[in-house]
Amino acid sequence: MIDFLARHNPGVSHWLVLSAVLFSIGLYGLLTRRNAVGILMAVELMLNSAALNFVVFNRFVMPASVDGQIMAIFVIAVAAAEVVVGMAIFVALFRCRATIDVNRMNTMRD
Amino acid sequence: MTQAVYTILFYLLAAMAVVLALAVVNARRLLRAAIYLMGVLAASAGLYVMLSAEFLAGIQVLVYVGGIVVLIVFAIMLTRSAELLEDDPSLHRKIAGAIASILFLAVTGGILWTTPFARLGAGGPAGDSARLIGQKLLDTGSAGYVLPFELISLLLLAAAIGGIVVARKTPPPDQPFTSGGDRPGEAEVQLPLRQNNVRGNGGAS
Repeated sequence: MIDFLARHNPGVSHWLVLSAVLFSIGLYGLLTRRNAVGILMAVELMLNSAALNFVVFNRFVMPASVDGQIMAIFVIAVAAAEVVVGMAIFVALFRCRATIDVNRMNTMRD
Repeated sequence: MTQAVYTILFYLLAAMAVVLALAVVNARRLLRAAIYLMGVLAASAGLYVMLSAEFLAGIQVLVYVGGIVVLIVFAIMLTRSAELLEDDPSLHRKIAGAIASILFLAVTGGILWTTPFARLGAGGPAGDSARLIGQKLLDTGSAGYVLPFELISLLLLAAAIGGIVVARKTPPPDQPFTSGGDRPGEAEVQLPLRQNNVRGNGGAS
């Protein structure tokens, strides 16, 4: 049993498929959610899987360097900025429309 | 033995991340979805540790789990999405979303599974990734990241100011905009401290 597990170490393909699965789940949420905050959470899932991809390539292609980890840090910083602006927009939108259902946001001004 | 533990940990964390991610996109209550998202991000931090990116795992816990999820919870509560139950997406929307995401997964997963990724650099993972990351981020040479670093700091400043400006309470259109009484003589603001002082003086005299 231990030998079997030790011989089936996760390779680069396993990690990349895991990240692709997480990205697809985020895509499904992006397409099916109607609440804007739910869509924001799905986008966070996708950004997280993209950052994971950077780190996986860093580990398995250039293990001695840290460039992929720096890219992942940039992804996290951009995600933080995106959430701040998104939350501000949703709060302003809720104040004037009393809903954040994206199906009912079809005008630029009321 | 350590290899076996590594394999078990990988599949454990991967299953946790995938199940919690499915819960994030399928939960009816958004507040629960936010908590599930926190679990996904914590599992990702564990995966970063397994990829020998310990500093990045710490950043992930600090910024994502501690900051972004809290902001999302704020957004849910400020927009009252927790009380208004998200109405179930219609069946054809679910089917269309599932078809699109499964097709995407099939194409990208097939390509990633069959492509051999060659190892370019020699040597194992660097032991002290935090020191290397710090040096790279402030390196002004051709392999350094000082310009993107400064751009990211500018972006964060712009996002903070933009968030404040967008979410600020604006007056209704028939009232003139005031600065909220911070200029002298513009508005009579009753400060509770001043009232207490007046009352205290009256009691003393």
